[in-house]
Amino acid sequence: MLGTVLGLAAMASSVQALNLRNADQNAAPNVESLSRSIDGVPEAQLIGIYKLIGQGRQREALEKAGKLVAAVPNFQLAQLVYGDLLAARARPVNSVGDIPDDVARSAGNTLNDLREEAQRRLKALRERPPAGTIPSQFLELSQKSRHAIAVDASRSRLYLFENTPTGLVLVADYYISVGKAGTSKSTEGDQRTPLGVYYITSNLNRKVLKDFYGSGALPLSYPNILDARRGKTGGGIWLHGTPSTQFSRPPLATDGCVVMANPDLETIIRTVEVRSTPVVIAPQLEWIEPLKAHAAVQPFETTLHAWRNAKTAGDVGQILSFYTPDFTSNGKTLTQWTPTLKAELSKVQGRTIQLKDVSYLRWTDTADTMVVTFGEVADGTRTGLTKRQYWMRQGDQWKIFFEGTP
Amino acid sequence: MKHARTPLFSLVRLIAIALSLHLSLAIADDYSDIADLMRAGRLPEALARTDQALSARPKDAQLRFFKGIIQRDSGKANDAITTFTRMGEDFPDMPEPFNNLAVVYASLGQYDKARTALESALHTNPSYATAHENLADIYAKLASQAYSRALQLDTNSATPPKLALIRELSAPSSTKLQHATAALPAAPAQPAPALPTPAPAPVAIAKPAPITAAPVPAKPVAVAAAPVKAAPAPVVTATTAKPAPAAATAAAAVPSKAATTANRDIEAAVRAWVSAWTARDVRSYLASYARDFATPGGISRSSWEEERRKRIAGKSNISVKLNNLTISSTGNKATVRFRQDYRANGLSISSRKVLELSKSGERWLIVKESISN
Repeated sequence: MLGTVLGLAAMASSVQALNLRNADQNAAPNVESLSRSIDGVPEAQLIGIYKLIGQGRQREALEKAGKLVAAVPNFQLAQLVYGDLLAARARPVNSVGDIPDDVARSAGNTLNDLREEAQRRLKALRERPPAGTIPSQFLELSQKSRHAIAVDASRSRLYLFENTPTGLVLVADYYISVGKAGTSKSTEGDQRTPLGVYYITSNLNRKVLKDFYGSGALPLSYPNILDARRGKTGGGIWLHGTPSTQFSRPPLATDGCVVMANPDLETIIRTVEVRSTPVVIAPQLEWIEPLKAHAAVQPFETTLHAWRNAKTAGDVGQILSFYTPDFTSNGKTLTQWTPTLKAELSKVQGRTIQLKDVSYLRWTDTADTMVVTFGEVADGTRTGLTKRQYWMRQGDQWKIFFEGTP
Repeated sequence: MKHARTPLFSLVRLIAIALSLHLSLAIADDYSDIADLMRAGRLPEALARTDQALSARPKDAQLRFFKGIIQRDSGKANDAITTFTRMGEDFPDMPEPFNNLAVVYASLGQYDKARTALESALHTNPSYATAHENLADIYAKLASQAYSRALQLDTNSATPPKLALIRELSAPSSTKLQHATAALPAAPAQPAPALPTPAPAPVAIAKPAPITAAPVPAKPVAVAAAPVKAAPAPVVTATTAKPAPAAATAAAAVPSKAATTANRDIEAAVRAWVSAWTARDVRSYLASYARDFATPGGISRSSWEEERRKRIAGKSNISVKLNNLTISSTGNKATVRFRQDYRANGLSISSRKVLELSKSGERWLIVKESISN
């Protein structure tokens, strides 16, 4: 029987709008540079199937879908499009996942979740960041961070960057799931994914993890200093994989963690470095030209250098003027921390202080903050302390509300 | 009276044979010449040659088929539609014209008409209709399995689909297009699954679901599969209101929209009447007849009903098979002709029947029933 595939065609028309060449360009590095893994490939094949449907090439789409479900049988979204393509051989198909109502209902919200996942995947591939742009949080990253990660929660997408000598380059992006209750975590058990600037703190061996976590886990530094200052609670926010029964999870699915398909996570784990890889999680990423990012650094840098000069000069009072009254450092108030400062100054013995390998990450929500990491090295010495400072803009002045080792 | 085998007679016979041989050779020449011209892309010449041959043999199916293809390849879609449509009317047992009609309709974006034409193609050989229906059932089953995996539901409890078994081979048809597919270069004339022969054979095939066949311990003949518990029962051409897949042959599906819909309904009504009769469902059987049905001999309606009731309910089993069904209808009136093979309790009667039906509301009801010669 001739089957009309109206619903699939409707979705596929959004695929028509896909500038797939761009997507392919972005996907190509996945396959070329990380050729041993299959990260990103199942999604690329799924999009290929949608594209064939849009072109009316349903027999080929069916064949491709058959191969995909054979290779990745737990990719439920692929099973859904495979089901639609099979059904279309027997009867008209009127929607994505043209499943009888009673069957769909018995599966709870699963069908809607799958449709939402499909929409998000397509959208993320259709609406690409302009070439060469970077998320606005990454003002400058030193070479101490060889990679960086940014998560756009509204797009259910994680972007992986390589920090080359000439700047950040997007090398891959993947579909991800966030908390059932969305983002903006503030309390333990709220099933939200936190928003902010985090770092990967460790790499958990998959052998000690339950099947639920899939190929592994990269814990994140929630709550960060800003979160703690705001009294946020909870923890155990990881970047982890999926159980063996499920290739990918719905867009809003987790207890707060960021979840990826296992092949994609494996690539991340193989690629990034613990402790030095920043992970920015934003409700929506804003992409800017690197030059604009550097320009935004300048005003702040002036202040940072002024602080450094004050330290070189050894004038404690002047130095302390750069700190907020409610400053903390590992539990110490400003007054309690001043002896530590003085001890550092005496070690330096008046030599000029250089700031090496400076990274600037800006996080703006209800407050405008800067997370700065650098090596504080006195002239004539080869090493120094690695420091991380959290600055907050008050009016047109930047002040430090945390200083410590990363 | 015997003919004497005179030398003259033998000579006449020889000449007759030679002439027919010559004629066959001439015909074969025409076919291969036209095919050559088509293969070479010399379509105007091919058309001229075909028309020339047609003037001598206007009914020749192969020539007409060539013509349709040439018209389609020349971009004359509407001419091709006319040619193939007329072929379908004249040769209702051939799948090829219906298939090609569908191809042309599809090229014009008229997908509903293409679908109807393809369904007609399948119905020229009931075996292919069955296989196609079974294939659709399999696709539906595979789809539901995929959906279950997508939704992570357990499918182990689901019942397997019951497919329709064919119990008789169909006989080759004399109207087969011998040269059609082999001679032609391009694929357009090929029906999608290369159908070998359309069959007029009395193969009765029923769709799984809506069978009302009564099990009959008579001779095993064609049949109904699925939910019928009875064994290799013969019987029925039970169908439903769906565009009849089953039974005999030539569904005179005229591929024009309105006529086809009406004919489908008419055929469905006839088959429902057969179903009821076979199932000895007297109430439904009688309900197939209009209130103003012309009772035989003009007897009263109640007398006629009583007679039918006795004749039907009085049998322990009934088998009714229809063959060579043709339908012609205009507006709310229809005439249906068929060969009816009736068997019951050892009785076996074959007759050519004519039913006249009239549309009342949504239903087609029998107003006259007669035997023709």
